[in-house]
Amino acid sequence: MLRTAAVVAGAVAAIVLLSAVHLTQGTSDTGALDLLSAVLGDGNAQAMAVLEGSRLPRLLTALLVGVALGVAGAGMQSIARNPLASPDTLAVNSGAHLAVVSFAAFGIGLPAYAAGGAAFVGGLAATALVLALSGGASTSPRLVLVGSAVGLTLYSATTLVLLLFEQETTGLYAWGSGSLSVGDLRTTSQMAPVVLVGVVGLVLMSRSLDVLALGDDNAAVVGLKVRRTRLGAVLLTVALTAAAVTAAGPVGFVGLSAPVITRLLAARVPGLARHRALLPVSGLVGVLVVLGADVLLRALLGASEAVRVPTGVMTTVLGASVLVWLARGQRSGGSRRQPPSGRVGVVGSRRRLVAVSVVLAALVVAAPLVGLLMGDRVVLLGDLGNWVTGRTGPALTFVLDQRLPRVLAAVVAGAALAVAGCGVQSVSRNPLAEPGLLGITAGAGLGAIGLITLVPGAGPWQIAGAAGFGALVAFALVYGLSWRGGQDSDRLVIIGIALWSAGMSLITLLVATTDPWNTVKALTWLSGSTYGRTLEQVLPPALALAAIGPLLWFAHRDLDLHSLDDDTPRVLGVPVERSRLLLLLGSGVLAASAVAAIGVVGFVGLVAPHLARSLVGGRNARVLPVAAGLGAVLVSLADTIGRTVISPAQIPAGLVISLVGTPYFVLVLWRSRERRT
Amino acid sequence: MRLLTPALLAAAVLLSACGTTESTSSEPSASGDAGGAITLTDARGKTVELKAPAKKVVSLEWAETEMVLTLGVTPVGAADPEGYATWNAAEALPGDVKDVGKRGEPSVDAIVALEPDLVLMPLARDTAVAEQLEKAVPVVMTKSSDATKNFDRLREDFTLIAKAVGKEAEAKTALAEMDAKLAEGKKAVEAKGATGTPFVMADGWMQGSTVSIRPFGKGSLVSDTAEAVGLVNAWTGEVDAEWGLGATDVEGMTAITDPKTIMVYSASEEDVFTTGLKDNAVWQRLPFTASGKITKLEKGTWTFGGPKSVAVIADQFVKAATS
Repeated sequence: MLRTAAVVAGAVAAIVLLSAVHLTQGTSDTGALDLLSAVLGDGNAQAMAVLEGSRLPRLLTALLVGVALGVAGAGMQSIARNPLASPDTLAVNSGAHLAVVSFAAFGIGLPAYAAGGAAFVGGLAATALVLALSGGASTSPRLVLVGSAVGLTLYSATTLVLLLFEQETTGLYAWGSGSLSVGDLRTTSQMAPVVLVGVVGLVLMSRSLDVLALGDDNAAVVGLKVRRTRLGAVLLTVALTAAAVTAAGPVGFVGLSAPVITRLLAARVPGLARHRALLPVSGLVGVLVVLGADVLLRALLGASEAVRVPTGVMTTVLGASVLVWLARGQRSGGSRRQPPSGRVGVVGSRRRLVAVSVVLAALVVAAPLVGLLMGDRVVLLGDLGNWVTGRTGPALTFVLDQRLPRVLAAVVAGAALAVAGCGVQSVSRNPLAEPGLLGITAGAGLGAIGLITLVPGAGPWQIAGAAGFGALVAFALVYGLSWRGGQDSDRLVIIGIALWSAGMSLITLLVATTDPWNTVKALTWLSGSTYGRTLEQVLPPALALAAIGPLLWFAHRDLDLHSLDDDTPRVLGVPVERSRLLLLLGSGVLAASAVAAIGVVGFVGLVAPHLARSLVGGRNARVLPVAAGLGAVLVSLADTIGRTVISPAQIPAGLVISLVGTPYFVLVLWRSRERRT
Repeated sequence: MRLLTPALLAAAVLLSACGTTESTSSEPSASGDAGGAITLTDARGKTVELKAPAKKVVSLEWAETEMVLTLGVTPVGAADPEGYATWNAAEALPGDVKDVGKRGEPSVDAIVALEPDLVLMPLARDTAVAEQLEKAVPVVMTKSSDATKNFDRLREDFTLIAKAVGKEAEAKTALAEMDAKLAEGKKAVEAKGATGTPFVMADGWMQGSTVSIRPFGKGSLVSDTAEAVGLVNAWTGEVDAEWGLGATDVEGMTAITDPKTIMVYSASEEDVFTTGLKDNAVWQRLPFTASGKITKLEKGTWTFGGPKSVAVIADQFVKAATS
């Protein structure tokens, strides 16, 4: 009790201190002394105006957003009984964001309450979808898996709106990462009662949430109305998140990191484990993250330059660092081990394998062929024949010449990402795992876009090299940071997610500071596109695939063993750590080369291995080639669709993948839900 | 070799001046030195050869679209013509101009399908696409903005395009008209004794209560225009090297202190300034708010356009400074 009070007092003191510093930062030259004397009543109207019109609104909005997201995150983690649940990973943020952005893109200005309402409905719809698809609020990792998938889809839809309505949504780009540059307190004060109701409501439910933590059955035995409790808590957390999104946009990572930090503190301060303390303290920690990020941002860049950088970028980086630090301090096995998922038994009859292989082989041939035919200008097979024999006219020859590298890039990168995904999923034994999770895609993207920014006109090999370097550094960080006298897959995943998000934020930061008015560039890079590819750019991933693909396949036994548990491979004489590192490195190089070729395409590395396992069972000797084929088909189709449906405008391939691939993936998860507990 | 380029250019100028007949279709491919061949150096520093003045032009950025129209050439294709129609009213784009996709990723297929004899694109966009396109079509890149010398840059870009489409006489006329417009504006400002009036120009966005303000600093095309009619840009904050644009919040506007300052802004759907910031304490104390010297640019005033857009902007600044 005493220790809890000490934590609360410490947090409050830190908030007061940060607030004081926060108030002195700003784009005008009104300093701390001016403010102080103005408050004391010396009649300095200008300082008063700055305080009232700029500094206080920003501070109060930061406080509101921090509390709302911190408490919402803590609530969600309790409801889902999952330490990775948060407004970010349960798609609430992205649902709310999409709703608000859509209204803005179509030129409908909404008053704050209406925008808040739209955000609430969007967030609620997303949550409802996630909960329904994951088979009710189950404790299985599937919840976060589905949540991330839905979130990615919604985020892609948002990006699409931003790309298509570039001119209308220029200002929304920064807001989309969470901005505290508020001009007045209107929205904040309108959202304050919502946040108050949400926080008080959840705190009142503390006892029920404590009981819920015992598990649904136990809670029901004790007499808790599990469904009603959960529904009520979901509504409250969604309202909190929607209020935060309405006030400042989706400020990233606060809802995830604040409660995780609090829970990790609870390891030392037992009183914090009770919801009566956990929820408010998470709110305070949320405030610390938001305020700290904003103070740090302006201290580092200077207030004028910091205007260009959304605060959410910084909360993500800060939250991620804290998360990494705490995850490192946490003892191995602290959180519940997640069983390997996505393997729907070992459905691997020979007949089925042959059937799948034949169909897939046909698709692998057909998908790029269709890709060559379709596009803004539809070509017929006869033309293709002529083109191969060199008898097409100049215009058609050109169209096909420039289409070929794009089609090949999609096929090769898709296969490379899928194979990399197989490796990563087996070794990390986590269903959420994909190359992105090891920091690889974000690192590669950061390396590539960094080079493009610093050295305009860099060639494809240099870009691939920079991407590879970035991926290696990021991977080394993830691997090195999560290494503590051995590797623990839970820790690896937490640190991986942290560095993934931080990397994506740094890409936003890089573009925002170097090429601030080129949001299209950032958006297309972050979503992956085959636009303007040349054959030379396809070479790096093709070579990587040709070299590393077979190596991974030869290691399929090791992969199988790794995906069981830590002990089996060791008992069987596999040098666990070395083998694991080599497999991850191979996967990393593959993924990095793919990113260099088509940008940061998420999700293929996750979806293709899952699909492959559900088709041919869990053995990697079969999974690897099937996943490669599926990855190739998936990205190729996505690319073709992106180039065709709204031509002459185009949708980046990465967006199409999450728009089309994710719902399918979720469907697969949903249909498999009865077969597993 | 050194003499060849100027010689060809001279020939091009001479020939394009009298080459008004329609027989161009048979003319170009006949031989290398066919009448009307043009060699020019574009913003990349790349030498581009055209067999004849381009007739079928595709333009991948709105400023270039506007410039081509000013020169009396209707492009066969343009990037995002719908957006152009909304955001740039200086030159009307006929409705039958083909859409070749968004400005960020225009469709290479669509461009080539039009069989243009020239593609115009700004240097800032992806150069990989230019290299691809060049296998089928000559590509001329314009600088499109340069915060160190935007007026000179505009003349260079415009003249470059004029050369490529064989309309150099028209370009001279249009630039002379622009200069005359600026001179006339300057005189009007002088007559009112408003020369040297400080101005601040910005656009901005609002989402809920979140406000982003983008001041047009020294070196932006708008700023060059306003300074050409005798006004002085009061925004001295940091701007980017290409467009001359800054970023700030309402508090940052307190850098503006001169009570004579006028404010000009553009806003699309939501009027950030006079509606969104109306009740803001900092905004209310800004000099131009107190004096009411705030002008909203008319809809369709494109702040990154060509000579026609400059004239449109100049008019509105003159009005704002003299009323």
